[in-house]
Amino acid sequence: MIYYYFKLQFKILRRKLIDFGLPFLPTSIVLPIIFSYISNNFLDNAKYDYAPHIYGVIALTIVSKLSKPERNGFLKSVFSKTDYLIIRVLENIVSSLPFVVFLLYKGLYIYAFSTYILSSLLVFLSFKTNFNLTLPTPFGKTPFEFTIGFRNTFLIFPIAYFLTYISISVNNFNLGIFSMLLTGAICMSYFSKTENRYHVWNFNLSPEQFLRYKTRTCFINFSILTLPIVITLSIFFINEIHIIMIFLVLCYAYLTLMIYAKYSDFPNHISLPQGLLIGISLVLPPLLLVLIPYFKSKSIKKLKNILE
Amino acid sequence: MIKVEKLSKSYGRKKILSNISFELEEGKIYGLVGENGAGKTTLFKCLTGIEKYQGDVKSNLEKLKNSSGFLPSEPYFFKKTTGREYIQLLTNARKIVIDNIEDKNIFNLPLDQYASTYSTGMKKKLALMAILFQKNDFFILDEPFNGVDIEGNILIEKILQKLKELNKTVIISSHIFTTLKTVCDEIIILEKGNLTKHIKRTDYSKLEHKMKNFNMGNQLEKLGLT
Repeated sequence: MIYYYFKLQFKILRRKLIDFGLPFLPTSIVLPIIFSYISNNFLDNAKYDYAPHIYGVIALTIVSKLSKPERNGFLKSVFSKTDYLIIRVLENIVSSLPFVVFLLYKGLYIYAFSTYILSSLLVFLSFKTNFNLTLPTPFGKTPFEFTIGFRNTFLIFPIAYFLTYISISVNNFNLGIFSMLLTGAICMSYFSKTENRYHVWNFNLSPEQFLRYKTRTCFINFSILTLPIVITLSIFFINEIHIIMIFLVLCYAYLTLMIYAKYSDFPNHISLPQGLLIGISLVLPPLLLVLIPYFKSKSIKKLKNILE
Repeated sequence: MIKVEKLSKSYGRKKILSNISFELEEGKIYGLVGENGAGKTTLFKCLTGIEKYQGDVKSNLEKLKNSSGFLPSEPYFFKKTTGREYIQLLTNARKIVIDNIEDKNIFNLPLDQYASTYSTGMKKKLALMAILFQKNDFFILDEPFNGVDIEGNILIEKILQKLKELNKTVIISSHIFTTLKTVCDEIIILEKGNLTKHIKRTDYSKLEHKMKNFNMGNQLEKLGLT
């Protein structure tokens, strides 16, 4: 029974990779190499002594994803108590194994041991909460990207505003710009997942009107979140206002790109090649001039199937 | 009036719907009956245009898609979206401005709670309310009574009667024959992707009798229950 469970998990993982556009065999070779490269760089080049702590926390955060109450409730209902514990301990150990092995390779034995023990102990933790508070948002009139996104990331905004305050206190303009870009990047992430076909079908709009509606809503909502930063920076760094405006325009451009990319393969999610193109454009902003019209025309074609 | 002509749908080589033709008149409620997997949900998705199909769906409505309200059998709700926001999303989509949702909340749903935390019946009621607020002329309701409590079912029946009075067209799928018998003017039978019968109200008792007397054969023995 336990064997079949893990066989099924393996099949699911394989299907997910294929759906994401990644062939299974090459990915299973390339992925460990990428993981080792990133881990090595992170642990060797990190300027701070607490890099192994962060590395351990990342491992535990990934493992904790397996502790969702719905998932565990299902497993408890299907398996006996002993089988359930064996499955949960095994999957937690397997998920943390790459991190543990790398910490051992780096000679960070205490961190490796702690990560291993804590991963196993996470089995006994359930993240079930009876805290059913609905977080109010200023975006309730135009659901859903910003209502959901804001509720998932609301803690980022006080941090961003605090960074703006710090940037003024220590007269560090770059830090101020970073706080603005941080809000832009967070808002971009709100458009990373595609909605159900049903929700798009409901719109009484042509594809062009639909994209305009989405972009306008996004611009208004993003402005609500970022204007406190923009106004504050413009007052305190008046001589740099042209730079602030350039970065603000870039934020709007990348948000537009993200919206168009989201619907360019609708109803599928943003694929790996599309993600790569977005990534390249972050390094090469002039690419936006090509990518925005490209994704827009693709989105219109895809949306025609459902809106017309 | 909605006229379906030679509608067919296949997924790959598998034919789900085959040459289906029927007409739906204004001010009438139609029931769609069929076994699980007969193609009811697929037919509904084709009528809405969510799924592509071969054949024609004609209507005297300006644009059928934008006058149709579709209640899916399992409505999908985003996480961390309240009931009120779900209604706002669906009414925004049809450019409908809705005030005082609270006063119109006939199912007494906790609208400021996340919809994903609702029970099955509450989710169905919310999704139904949202499409009613869209002021549609044509309603496609896939299993509207499933999971809904008795009071809710009575209220849904009253809503259907009201829609009929307002000259709207409604098509419902349900496995609860007694409800269909009460509310529907006609029942359409779908068998393995084919429309086999169109039954008028006067023949409901014959249909009910047939359904009750279906022969199970040795189906139960196959399970090998001990």
